[in-house]
Amino acid sequence: MWLRRLRYWIDSGRRSEALREEMELHLAEEAAELEADGMTAERARVEARRRFGNVGQKQEESREVWISRFLSELGQDLRYGCRTMAANKAFSALAVLSLALGIGANTAIFSLMESILLRSLPVAEPESLVVLNWHSRPPQEANKQWVHVVHGLQGLFWPGDKGALVSGIFPYRAFETLRKENPVFSTVFGYFNGHNRTLAVRGEAMSASTEYVSGEYFRGLGVPPAAGRLIQSADDRAGASPVAVISFATSQNRFGGAANAIGQPVLVDNVPFTVIGVAPPEFSGVDPAAAPEVYLPLHTYLLAGGARAARMFGDENFYWLEMMGRLRPGVRMAQAQAVLAPRFHQWVAATAKSEGERAKLPELILNPGAAGLGSLRRQYTKPLYVLLAMVGLILAVACANIANLLLARAAARRREMAVRLSLGAGRLRVVRQLLTESVLLASLGGALGVAFAIWGMRTLTFLLSNGQRNVPLHAELNWSVLGVTAALSVVCGLLFGLAPAIQATRPDVLPALKNGRGGGPRRRAQHVLVAGQIAMSFLILVAAGLFVRTLDKLHSVHLGYARENILLFTVNARQAGHRDPEIAAFYEHLRKRLESIPGVSGATFSHSSLISAGLAGPAIGGEMKAGAVTIDDAGVLAAGPRFLTTMRIPILAGREIDERDQRGSTPVAVISEEMARTYFGNGSPVGRSITLVDEKRDLEIVGVSGNVRYGGLKDEEESSMTMLVPASQISPDRMTYALHTAGDPLAYVHSVHAIVREADSRIPVTNVVTQAAEIDRTISREILFARLCAGFAVLALLMACVGLYGTMSYHVARQTGEIGIRMALGARRGAVVWMVLRRVLGLAGAGLAISVPAALTASRLVKAFLFQTQPNDPGTLVAAGVVLMSAAILAGYAPARRASRIDPLAALRQE
Amino acid sequence: MGRKSQKNDSLPGSLDMLILRTLSRGDLHGYGIVQYLQRSSGNELLVEEGSLYPALQRLELNGWIGGAWGVTPNNRRARIYKITAAGRKQLAVETRKYAKLTLAIARVMGTE
Repeated sequence: MWLRRLRYWIDSGRRSEALREEMELHLAEEAAELEADGMTAERARVEARRRFGNVGQKQEESREVWISRFLSELGQDLRYGCRTMAANKAFSALAVLSLALGIGANTAIFSLMESILLRSLPVAEPESLVVLNWHSRPPQEANKQWVHVVHGLQGLFWPGDKGALVSGIFPYRAFETLRKENPVFSTVFGYFNGHNRTLAVRGEAMSASTEYVSGEYFRGLGVPPAAGRLIQSADDRAGASPVAVISFATSQNRFGGAANAIGQPVLVDNVPFTVIGVAPPEFSGVDPAAAPEVYLPLHTYLLAGGARAARMFGDENFYWLEMMGRLRPGVRMAQAQAVLAPRFHQWVAATAKSEGERAKLPELILNPGAAGLGSLRRQYTKPLYVLLAMVGLILAVACANIANLLLARAAARRREMAVRLSLGAGRLRVVRQLLTESVLLASLGGALGVAFAIWGMRTLTFLLSNGQRNVPLHAELNWSVLGVTAALSVVCGLLFGLAPAIQATRPDVLPALKNGRGGGPRRRAQHVLVAGQIAMSFLILVAAGLFVRTLDKLHSVHLGYARENILLFTVNARQAGHRDPEIAAFYEHLRKRLESIPGVSGATFSHSSLISAGLAGPAIGGEMKAGAVTIDDAGVLAAGPRFLTTMRIPILAGREIDERDQRGSTPVAVISEEMARTYFGNGSPVGRSITLVDEKRDLEIVGVSGNVRYGGLKDEEESSMTMLVPASQISPDRMTYALHTAGDPLAYVHSVHAIVREADSRIPVTNVVTQAAEIDRTISREILFARLCAGFAVLALLMACVGLYGTMSYHVARQTGEIGIRMALGARRGAVVWMVLRRVLGLAGAGLAISVPAALTASRLVKAFLFQTQPNDPGTLVAAGVVLMSAAILAGYAPARRASRIDPLAALRQE
Repeated sequence: MGRKSQKNDSLPGSLDMLILRTLSRGDLHGYGIVQYLQRSSGNELLVEEGSLYPALQRLELNGWIGGAWGVTPNNRRARIYKITAAGRKQLAVETRKYAKLTLAIARVMGTE
């Protein structure tokens, strides 16, 4: 019905024309008949008209059937609103701009939330997918001993409530058990992240992210191939011929098209595979964070992983495989859990090796899988909510600002309203017209906001993904985002339009008609709005202060090594087929070649960059002893020659690791000053030794270095105790090279690529980054928060000041007479300035009074994002208060000065 | 809105019913409907002819009748209206309501 009415309305021009024609025909036929009955043509026409009635009115009435009155009045209001807006260009521009910023910021954040938290996987019927997880009591006993059925794992787990262990990885045998005769799932499929591997296509090697998937993966997800066929159950068997499916983007980049890739041979870590198919373009795996480029059958992991992989498939206590299931039609998730949890419990109970392990067996839980795995959600949900709260506040400040300006303008339009009301316009009708105006303003703001949001989204995506190659965030403007923006605009329009509209149409028409000046309620409303704006701005200021302080603290963390002029990149020679002992020579040879690049003053390598060493794990595991004392929490880095020199770390005693340290030569170590002092007292440790208990061998200490930050900036427990061991004696798989360069490190990237290609073209250079960027990458969230919130704070403060300035100017203008009298009676200019400023300070003070307790409560919510900064940091609170007060005084000073310049005579004459 | 024509009928809403009834006997254009109403009522029902058009629009919007351009018996271009299935159902409903109402009025008036 409504739809048809709308269609009629849209079509109303043509319909009106048809109606007119119909009526004319009617009159003509009637006249013709009357004429046939003997009337004159003239009389017949008049009679026909008389019988018909009022043609114009009937036409109107007929039209009203489809264009309801509401719509025609809406058209009127819109036209009127446009005229009003055009008449107040400065006001409209300011209002639209501030709304555009507010709505745009909200849209940008919401689009990110939508992409991360709400969007479904691009697969068939995503609602029926469930992710299999388990949770158990904390694995560590009171003595920190790990007692759990999970003896080893490859994958992620994350903390649940009360220290519980939550994870999505299972042993292969559990997968087999759950897969067998499953009454609730139509398919169960497994997969795990194979991380970056070297993909060689036609002799050209590049790093590619991989995902190992079970044979039912693609069928279970209901994904059709873009070309060729996808991995099937028959492909996922030990001994099956190795096949691979590649992502659509990879087929474009590496083969020049999906069809070209089919049947092509490729090498994955030097193992030959045949490309059998290409995944559809929109599909990027089940984990929105991973976006694999190559999909390999689960059992081909045996080819790459060797004996360890073979053990993984059989070991009931080794957890590594992730699982998803598709519910059979009509089965609910809770039912499925009720069926599967006991089955898993029975299986896992049999794998427990002791009473302690039996006491905290993992329990199966099912989670909705429509949006894929939750890794992105876990990572970004809280930051996004914090940002959303911020932009929400910004929008509220903008709305309050516009409401305030509208209130002031309502005073100017009071006569207009009074005239309309006294001429008989319904109050509701006038309110509706005013609301139409404000919604019109808000819609324009929203439209402009979308443009702002597109820019904001790109910036945010870039900042949040901090330059990673596979950007997992795919924010975009889609219908749901635009719908929210539209709704937001309308709600904002109503929100900031309602109070002024009701105010403007107060029924006390007569006084308004007489002198055009309003009374107290409006002033009160304005004061409340200004105080509210100040309160909200303070909240944002405090947040910005806390985040800036956090970033400042992070930047002032003592690194102990060079941050600037260092280029880092990673190579993995083992993936290209290099083996011990040749691999060590290869890495050393490459280092020497790199060091010979003109402009490079030093080149070295280590098993990880220092900043991400905490994530990479220590180069040596197991217990270490200095004499009889066990060494705790020392970070061990496997480093190449000239590490200390290149990184500009001072050598305090002895020597650094150099070319003398070879595989087979005396095992040595260089320890940091703090470690030396802690375990060897004040005497020089050079020449003394550290015992590796598990490996039953000693390391001779040959040098002492300055203290170095090992691991991330945020790890509060990290100490400066580090130990370097020669990489040649440890022989890790991959190496991160570091070059100390003259000038911009990125200028050397080209030479690096050339040299590595020359050394071995099968080895891709990955993770090319400057040391400074690598460090900033670990604190990208803090950088983002600090920058964004500082921007938000400036914006909010600006808007609050505009509100304050507007309100004060308005009051001064209204009080011209009063001020004139005061001055005529001898009040000095200073006193007048103070009179106005006192009110400004009163408003700001009221705002602060509301806001300080709110800030103290709210800032606790962001505690998790702070570093060495308390949520109630007094310095930040005071600074925010001072900034706010200064801004308020600045905003109030201009009207105050204007008040003090009032000429008493002119003012009194005007009165 | 709400301006009802003064002389079309004493029973509100009955014009819709009369139009539906007229169209149920055959497709007609606007003037044809007026003529039929007058003729079939023995010139007793004097419809304000203009009121016909808002009523036609309303009926069409409700989906009870459909209009399409066609040619009148006098060979003139006109919108010819046709009753729809929903319109026939509506006619039945209104006829029942009308019968009940006239019966009730007759009872009150003691003319039953």
